[in-house]
Amino acid sequence: MDFQSCVNIKKEWDIVGARQLGRDIARKIGFGTVDQARIATAISELARNIYLYAGTGKVCFEALEEIDHKGIAIVAIDNGPGIQEISQVMEDGFSTSGGLGAGLPGVKRLMDEFNIHSEEGKGTEIRVVKWLR
Amino acid sequence: MSTLKLDLENYKELLKEYIRTKDEQALYQAEQFSKQSMQQKISPDEIINVHIQSLQEMYPEMPDYIQASLNFLLETMISYGVAYQEHQSLREKQLELKSEISVAANMQKTLLSTVKPEIDEIEIGALSVPAKQMNGDYHHFVYDDQGTLGIAVADVIGKGVPAALCMSMIKYAMDSFPEMRMDPSGILSSLNRVVERNVDSSMFVTMFYGSYDSRDHTFSYSSAGHEPGFYYHQDKDEFEEIDVPGLVLGVSAETSYTQYKKKVEKGDMIILLTDGVTECRQGDRFIEQEEVLSVIKSYAHLPAQEIVDQVYKYFERLQDFYLRDDFTLIVLRRNV
Amino acid sequence: MNLTIDVSNKENTAYLTLAGEVDAFTAPKLKETILPLTREEGQTVEVDFANVDYMDSTGLGVFISALKSTKEHNSEMKLVHMQERVYRLFKITGLTEIINIESTVQGGM
Repeated sequence: MDFQSCVNIKKEWDIVGARQLGRDIARKIGFGTVDQARIATAISELARNIYLYAGTGKVCFEALEEIDHKGIAIVAIDNGPGIQEISQVMEDGFSTSGGLGAGLPGVKRLMDEFNIHSEEGKGTEIRVVKWLR
Repeated sequence: MSTLKLDLENYKELLKEYIRTKDEQALYQAEQFSKQSMQQKISPDEIINVHIQSLQEMYPEMPDYIQASLNFLLETMISYGVAYQEHQSLREKQLELKSEISVAANMQKTLLSTVKPEIDEIEIGALSVPAKQMNGDYHHFVYDDQGTLGIAVADVIGKGVPAALCMSMIKYAMDSFPEMRMDPSGILSSLNRVVERNVDSSMFVTMFYGSYDSRDHTFSYSSAGHEPGFYYHQDKDEFEEIDVPGLVLGVSAETSYTQYKKKVEKGDMIILLTDGVTECRQGDRFIEQEEVLSVIKSYAHLPAQEIVDQVYKYFERLQDFYLRDDFTLIVLRRNV
Repeated sequence: MNLTIDVSNKENTAYLTLAGEVDAFTAPKLKETILPLTREEGQTVEVDFANVDYMDSTGLGVFISALKSTKEHNSEMKLVHMQERVYRLFKITGLTEIINIESTVQGGM
């Protein structure tokens, strides 16, 4: 773990801040324009989920450096109500906030790794990773 | 990845070609390219990216604002790309569901299959065609060694899977009280309680149950709100509506059904059907009852099975081979 | 093939005016509109059928649901101005015996 930086999500404007920081980090790691855009879109979804369903939370970034590859990890943490049926929110076409392509399944598609941990009444933590190719 | 890269190289060449010639040939190739890309599940943002890269290579001096605007375009396409992938996976899921439904439809066919009994005294014609994969119509024959034939014709409101599930439930309920087979009003009262208890409030079933005694040629029957059948008098070449009152199954638990009895003369026919027959449409026009009867009449000289087959073919043609509702038609004729 | 549903209220009665066809495509919308109205105790729901020229069994299902709901919630339902073809459906299914139906337009097409 090289370094970690976080953006607190309290208002809609913070989503932009999270995108900006995430994109800067992705660029420094060496991601190209498309991947930067994908990472930013994934950050948007994660941050918007916090803003809409949990109220407050934070989005943190880690630059990953392993022997043979580099990548970025994004962790979204909130203390919101948690998700009751994870399998349901991960289902395509389930998203209530938007049409096709929105929600957590979209995030999963944009990134290489996806991990979610949620406890009812306690909150949700989602960690996603994208590797540099 | 290598085939993909190759295609991207290809895109640059195509683009170059088009910018030089601006002719239709190059545009046609662009169309081919997009089709190939879709086959390889390449999403739209990917194509935009290739476009940007190609331009950068071809015009290294590209003005900054063009570059910026292309990045802007790329950003707006990312969500489309995700939507495209989701669409792909939903399509696969749809195929999966389709094949599951066809398995279920086959199971239903086996489950609800009924054998048309061969009886010397009575000639039987029966046909049931579903509008969709799963049939919401149901008909069943039971013939016992006493010479009594029991016939059930039912229609579950709604179509498709829910209707089919409900139908299976009715079939099993009927099997569970075999002693009532020859008691039409009793069987309807019992089924009514089963449906009322177990089915969604907006779902209901109509059923006609009749039993034909081949020893004295009497037909006893009751109806639970089912589409009226017809009795055909051969001597007068006339139809009489078998219009009997009775509430549909599943509305009110305390419903009782009246049973009627009719003597059947030689050569006469009993015609039972579902509303898929009487609600045939030609364009926006409904087919009137008289037309249904005159069609049946025109085939009345044929064997019973051929009558139902021909009538079906007639209405299938009339509706341009598109059934709006499940279609069931049964003809019984006293032979001796 | 469409159905328009107008709702107006006057004292204890909700008036539903339907125009078009009630079939598998339009029935869900009708159900969504009518069921909540039947859940108000003491309310009469009056449905005007004058401009309904086709209804299929899915539509009947909606009114059976609504009828059950009126019994549960002590409300009432009344169907008025029904055309002959639609009335026939209620008649065959035995529902004319248990639903309050006034079919003044009977025979008119």
